[in-house]
Amino acid sequence: MQITTKTSRTYWITPAAGVACGLIYLIAFSLGGQPGYGLIALGVMVAFSAAIALIGRRSETVRGLLDHRDERLAGIDLRATAVTAVAMILAVLAGFVIEVAHGHDGAPYAIIGTVGGVAYLGAVGYFRVRS
Amino acid sequence: MRQRRTAKGLAQADLARELAVSRQTINSIETGRYTPSLPLAIAIARFFGTPVEEIFHADHD
Repeated sequence: MQITTKTSRTYWITPAAGVACGLIYLIAFSLGGQPGYGLIALGVMVAFSAAIALIGRRSETVRGLLDHRDERLAGIDLRATAVTAVAMILAVLAGFVIEVAHGHDGAPYAIIGTVGGVAYLGAVGYFRVRS
Repeated sequence: MRQRRTAKGLAQADLARELAVSRQTINSIETGRYTPSLPLAIAIARFFGTPVEEIFHADHD
């Protein structure tokens, strides 16, 4: 569990996920008849992934956030994720209300909100049993 | 904890490497901004060869 010099497999999960997302974007844009935009999206995601991987070599904070081996940085990551989730929930709720006020059925915000709610309940149930 | 570390002639980075945490975490513990988990507190105490309660106190960090 050395944090200062070695990199773990966990370290590469986020950059790899970024590249995977870029490939998915490329496929999606290509299916939609816009492969050029797909290549741009892939390029952006590859650049982002390479940037965080390289910054992680020099920044203890970025490295800690990527490899999750430092308990303090893991806690910071968890709290930052919770704040992000709250922001997303507020955005989804606002989107739903605006859609309904315009006479629509609230899609796609209703579905996104439902997924979030079910995920939260599932997570509470899972962690209640596990801890 | 800082006194024990400096008494051993260790830099924060050295202690961080020994405990497998970041240097920032050592600094945050020493300045009282972060309270370590029980496993890390025990690891710190073991490293310095002293009981946990001699390094960490309930009334102050």
